[in-house]
Amino acid sequence: MNAPAHHLDPATLLAYAAGALPVAFAVVAASHLQVCAPCRAALRAAEGVGAHLLEQLRGVPLSAAARATLRGRLAADASSPRTAPPAPARAPGPDVLPALLQPFFGDRYSRLRWTCLSPGVHYLDAQPDPHSRLVLLRLEIGCAGPVHRHHGHALTMVLRGAYQDGPGRFGPGDVADLDDGRRHRPLAVSRRRCIWASALAAAPPWRHATGKGSLMRHER
Amino acid sequence: MDAACTMARRAMPPPREGGDWSALMVRVAHTRDPDSFMRIYDHFAPRLHRYLLGRGVPATRAEDLVQDAMLHAWRGAGQFDPRRATVSTWLFRIARNLHIDSARRAAVAAYGEDLALAGEPGPTLELVQAPSPEAYADHVGLSRAIDALPALQARLVRMSFLEARSHGEIASELRMPLGSVKSSLRRAFARLQHGLTDAAA
Repeated sequence: MNAPAHHLDPATLLAYAAGALPVAFAVVAASHLQVCAPCRAALRAAEGVGAHLLEQLRGVPLSAAARATLRGRLAADASSPRTAPPAPARAPGPDVLPALLQPFFGDRYSRLRWTCLSPGVHYLDAQPDPHSRLVLLRLEIGCAGPVHRHHGHALTMVLRGAYQDGPGRFGPGDVADLDDGRRHRPLAVSRRRCIWASALAAAPPWRHATGKGSLMRHER
Repeated sequence: MDAACTMARRAMPPPREGGDWSALMVRVAHTRDPDSFMRIYDHFAPRLHRYLLGRGVPATRAEDLVQDAMLHAWRGAGQFDPRRATVSTWLFRIARNLHIDSARRAAVAAYGEDLALAGEPGPTLELVQAPSPEAYADHVGLSRAIDALPALQARLVRMSFLEARSHGEIASELRMPLGSVKSSLRRAFARLQHGLTDAAA
């Protein structure tokens, strides 16, 4: 994967550092951070802001009992072996989804059970918390997605292939961090199907520009 | 150890952030000395306590979460890398992640161990060569930059970090358009990063 060319909005990065993003957005943001060194550097700066605000806080004392309990646990723990740092993750194979998406969709692209949305467009849908939903979309080669607009924040990261949206070309690792409600229409421009993950505000996920209502209302 | 000695240690000025807390944490990793660690605890645990209460953790639970965070730090001291983070940043991440973990189980995966507590994944060359954003000089620059933020920007940054409010929640509470909340936060972050660069120069 080349270095991503499209990055997280600084406001999104700040919210991620603060731990204030709805879950689906945090999952997509973290997936981009895994593959984007400049965004990781910016994240560290943002976390430094949080740490600084933490330092400035006037502390609320803990009980003496709590201190004594912790002190006791340290002593009991001091002799036990230190936990080893986690083993570095193995490089995923070409069929493997990014690790952070696996809890929602499984681990293999080849095992995804897509639902047809319109000719050439398939999707999968998960709702990890009440405020956000996580969607996988797949565009066949040369296909265009529906013309749509997002209501509220929409954060998309390309997983495979590439799409063109207005003047921008988005390839693997690139994110489109949108909240302007403009109509847009992604067009698959790669030699393979384009697959991306999107975090969307909980409901409705999007509307046809024609105003016919939600395309992907969750039926339960 | 006699009481006078303990008193003397308590009376010592707190280590200067960026330098001595880090040195102390590194020493803890090597010596596994609980007393050294308790100095870190005495400084940071009450602040973490306030932080978690501010994020809406019930009082009965907040103290336990602080204990969890400090125990996490004690056990993971060997993973603390002073070139990459100050002790305060490291503890901030631990407490933030534990809170998210406890509040929203599904979000755990959104702050994987790799990103938060251990080293960074992926290529590291440019990260190593980039000036550390957390050297002491940077800390001073950041402090100055935060103090110099316009009142609204400072308020939005605090609501994000200290109350974990989403952009949407901030917009509705302050009756501002969502776009204005985000553009103010963008400007604030640019100023803060600028403050870091100025200090490092």
